[in-house]
Amino acid sequence: MNGDMPTGFASWLAHERSCDAGIDWLDARRRNAAERVREQGVPSSRDEGWRYTNLKGLLEQGFLQPDEPITALQPDDLEEVLVPGLASHRVILVNGRFVPELSLLEDLPPGVRVSGLASLLASDPDVLKDRLNAVAGDDLALFAALNTAGLDDGVVALVDRGVLLERPIELIHVSVGLDEPRVAQPRNVIVLGAGAQAIVIERYLSLGDSLYCTNCVTEVSLGRDAVLKHDRIQTESPSAFHISGLYLRQDANSRYLGVNLGLGARWARTDLNATFGGEHAECDLQGLYLAGDGQLMDYHLDVDHSVPNCASRENFKGILYGKGRAVFDGRVFVAQDAQKTDAAMSNRNLMLSESAEVDTKPQLEINADDVKCSHGTTVGQIEPEMLFYLRSRGISAPLARRMLCLGFAGEIIERLSAEALRDQVSELVGQRLESAPLS
Amino acid sequence: MLSVKGLRANVGDKEILRGLDFEVGPGEVHAIMGPNGSGKSTFAHVLSGREGYEVTAGSVTFEGKDLLALEPEERAQLGLFLAFQYPVELPGVNNTYFLKAALNSIRKARGEEELDAVSFLRLIKERLKILHLDDSLLKRAVNAGFSGGEKKRNEIFQMALLEPKLAILDETDSGLDIDALRVVADGVNALRSAERSMIVVTHYQRLLDYIQPDHVHVLSKGRIIRSGGKELALELEEKGYGWIDAEGQAA
Amino acid sequence: MTSTQAVDDIVRSEYEHGFATEIASDTLPPGLDEDVVRAISARKGEPEFMTEARLKAYRHWLTMTEPQWPAVHYPKIDFQAISYFSAPKRPEDAPKSLDEIDPLLIETYNKLGIPIEEQKALAGIAVDAVFDSVSVATTFRATLAEAGVIFCSISEALHDYPELVKQHIGSVVPHTDNYYAALNAAVFSDGTFVYIPKGVRCPMELSTYFRINARNTGQFERTLIVAEAGSYVSYLEGCTAPQRDENQLHAAVVELIAMEDAEIKYSTVQNWYPGDAQGKGGIYNFVTKRGDCRGARSKISWTQVETGSAITWKYPSCLLRGDDSVGEFYSVAVTKGRQQADTGTKMIHIGKNTSSTIVSKGISAGEGRQTYRGLVRIGQRAAGARNHTQCDSLLIGDRCTANTFPYIEVKHPSAKMEHEATTSKISDDQLFYCRSRGLTEEDAVSMIVNGFCKEVFNELPMEFAVEAQKLLSISLEGAVG
Repeated sequence: MNGDMPTGFASWLAHERSCDAGIDWLDARRRNAAERVREQGVPSSRDEGWRYTNLKGLLEQGFLQPDEPITALQPDDLEEVLVPGLASHRVILVNGRFVPELSLLEDLPPGVRVSGLASLLASDPDVLKDRLNAVAGDDLALFAALNTAGLDDGVVALVDRGVLLERPIELIHVSVGLDEPRVAQPRNVIVLGAGAQAIVIERYLSLGDSLYCTNCVTEVSLGRDAVLKHDRIQTESPSAFHISGLYLRQDANSRYLGVNLGLGARWARTDLNATFGGEHAECDLQGLYLAGDGQLMDYHLDVDHSVPNCASRENFKGILYGKGRAVFDGRVFVAQDAQKTDAAMSNRNLMLSESAEVDTKPQLEINADDVKCSHGTTVGQIEPEMLFYLRSRGISAPLARRMLCLGFAGEIIERLSAEALRDQVSELVGQRLESAPLS
Repeated sequence: MLSVKGLRANVGDKEILRGLDFEVGPGEVHAIMGPNGSGKSTFAHVLSGREGYEVTAGSVTFEGKDLLALEPEERAQLGLFLAFQYPVELPGVNNTYFLKAALNSIRKARGEEELDAVSFLRLIKERLKILHLDDSLLKRAVNAGFSGGEKKRNEIFQMALLEPKLAILDETDSGLDIDALRVVADGVNALRSAERSMIVVTHYQRLLDYIQPDHVHVLSKGRIIRSGGKELALELEEKGYGWIDAEGQAA
Repeated sequence: MTSTQAVDDIVRSEYEHGFATEIASDTLPPGLDEDVVRAISARKGEPEFMTEARLKAYRHWLTMTEPQWPAVHYPKIDFQAISYFSAPKRPEDAPKSLDEIDPLLIETYNKLGIPIEEQKALAGIAVDAVFDSVSVATTFRATLAEAGVIFCSISEALHDYPELVKQHIGSVVPHTDNYYAALNAAVFSDGTFVYIPKGVRCPMELSTYFRINARNTGQFERTLIVAEAGSYVSYLEGCTAPQRDENQLHAAVVELIAMEDAEIKYSTVQNWYPGDAQGKGGIYNFVTKRGDCRGARSKISWTQVETGSAITWKYPSCLLRGDDSVGEFYSVAVTKGRQQADTGTKMIHIGKNTSSTIVSKGISAGEGRQTYRGLVRIGQRAAGARNHTQCDSLLIGDRCTANTFPYIEVKHPSAKMEHEATTSKISDDQLFYCRSRGLTEEDAVSMIVNGFCKEVFNELPMEFAVEAQKLLSISLEGAVG
């Protein structure tokens, strides 16, 4: 299976053979994924999805995927990792591996199953046969293919039909600095049965400022009438590379409310893909990114309206300062039969510095006539009238700017599922802005 | 308290204020009236430190300080308050947060202690009543999606909270129906005191039926051309601004 | 004397310098190589620099690959099967009468109220005489000469003002720009040259409509407009009547140059033959149009009404180099039947305080496929740049497609950029309201569509706007139901 892997990614898949699970269907999917990596090679700026995103910095690092789990996180370190006041069913992954002794899964109600992917593959692989890779599919994009080919662990959360889970499931992915730069490729599978309701919080963070790469893929499948609130918060180390793929599939009448926050990492690429399997489903994708000095925040949304009567909202906001860069590439596709589609995409950017840069590309592809589709983009700076108004009330200029930025960000932050999370994120954003050169 | 001497100011190449003299003592309420384009709003903006105006001559002292040398927030911290003609919408900026930040920055500048959350909330609820405002307002973003009347009431509410020494009401009556006008005027009257001065800038006499001024000034072509008591406002209403202009030209 | 020659004679005799190009009586065999390029240049008696420029472009073209556009579908073009220099068809090859023409086309002519002789000319039938426009054009020329305005064919300009042409041609769209621009630079047949001297306001709208003799130049047309400091010109291209052409591939290049305080307004009504109901025989319209706002406070405004062609691929663009310069793009594009259009604009903000406006209205009916593709780039030094983009699609019928692909690249924080796009259909409520006031469904649709396009029509010169509205109504007849 080795051989002609694209240079730069070969080391990601050194692991490919060693974790051969001996499960036929899984091995077949991984072989296919490896093949997809070979086929695609390393994309260049000529590839539409990589027009504004340079992979050079990532490839230069020579990231390795470790064979053995390295989970050097002490219970004492947990303090730093948890959100004060957030009560959750907690799953902790360290460097891509599930750590049961730090996780907190005792109180799960009946009908809810949360476990490590590797252990589930060992104990009950059949549960995953129709679920793992089911949403992402065989036609995998490069990094999803790498994740699948190099798959070793992650989290599986299954909520049975009709179950209303009150407390959120919190998935905390911690990266701990290692001697050599490593890549972690966790794979998460979230499945809600018909009528089930749940909150899932995914957080990616690190202790310290070390260099590493996270290439995570989360697959979400919502049954008929299911409701999922899904917060995904990335506060990786300032030296880190973060690649994240979300694959979402919704059955009829289901609702998905997703909030994506990109606050850390030096280079972050997020691909969000949503498809509908039944009518009257709603998909709400909200996002906020902060791109400061030397940071790249790169978002790609692909919402596929292939059935009628579904609604989607794509609302992303960014704040850029220093030499920060952001890319927003959103696509809403409406198939010929998808009448009564209601889609609205918006990308708004606030630029605070001379050398920040934003490239935005909100696209609509519409093949049905009875639809309501719109998109809007703005790039601008803080309005002088707003600043003056605040100053005329006695507020200093730097604080006024920060308040306006927080106000801008607040619309997204307030969508987060838990108060404790909103408070923590607001504070973090405030801190980031405080240290940012705002002129 | 406020002393304006020979104030001249430009917007771009155009001179708007042409040698304005104006004095306000403690507790006094002054009305400045004048036709459109006479420089009323420019005057209010220059006092509060808005950008886009160039002062070419004259001086403004407030509480013994050179007002023109101060940043807008320093003026506010000193006790100056401008009620905007067009209050600015701040989408996403929570009203409570905004008010607390403003109040505490002013208190800090005065050497007072910052208010904690509990006493702050008590204070704003008390002040809300003066303006007959609902406390749902506190959860909303500043002025965003407010009706015209709500915006103006919110301005006066801010004034009640920030307790300025000198308040400038820039065409606070514009766009208000009579009921809203009454509410706003009641709020303003409730805030009158021996330590608080006000400058009421307006085009119409009717606001002065509700807010009785001690002095009325007529501004024309960037200068105060006539001053008098509140009867001057009535005379103006009757004869129109043309009368003053004609007189001004004759003089 | 053949009737074609008769036309040529009239043309020659009426224009002092010959409005028409020197038309050779033969046609070069299909195919393209350096000899063909040389032969084109030689036949037109061009100066040496032009021949060299053509060859350079040809050599560069050879190194390029034909672009593939994901949103546009058509069979592969065989560039060696095209004849790159052809005299007008001999009468025996041309259609003999209107009976041989697609009856739908004739119907449209009749609806537009086009006289029978004009219909024949438009349909490519050999005619005995050219109608009124020739003499009208002559009168115009005198007025223009008085103002110092040069308005002539590009071949003519190469003879009479070679230095002017040399200075400007290819300076906005270099031959290296894209595949079709390179091809055009190598083999361009003819086109228009306009020069407005310093401080001159061109006394009339300039229109190619009056240059009917430029037949067969449609294929690889080249237009160059230079507006010197403080001048103004409004230029109208095309006409509302559907034009037939035996050449399927059209690859024109238009270059506009506006110096300090100059303004160029360029309006296009493009109504080339879209092909029959199955899309057969329609024109491929692959055009490169670009304006260079070279001087401070200059302004270039593109307005287009695109209803014709089987495939349209064009992005009239503005390079906003001068400080405070202004770029505008107003577009109505209609695709119906099996038409495909991939059109939009590029606004490249380079100078300070530059501003641009984009208003694009796309109407897609039947199995029409339409794509708006636009780029707004705000460069590192473009302080205070402003852009507003409004991009709306109207869909009629459930088999059509409307895509919107805006690219927005901002590298300066003081930029203010707004982009809005909507896609909608004509609502039943709107239709019902109109009909309950006594309008037929067709009139109601036409009224709603014209309302949808109003912002763009307002930018067209008056008489053009009226024709464009009529054209739009006719284009969409039968599209609803």
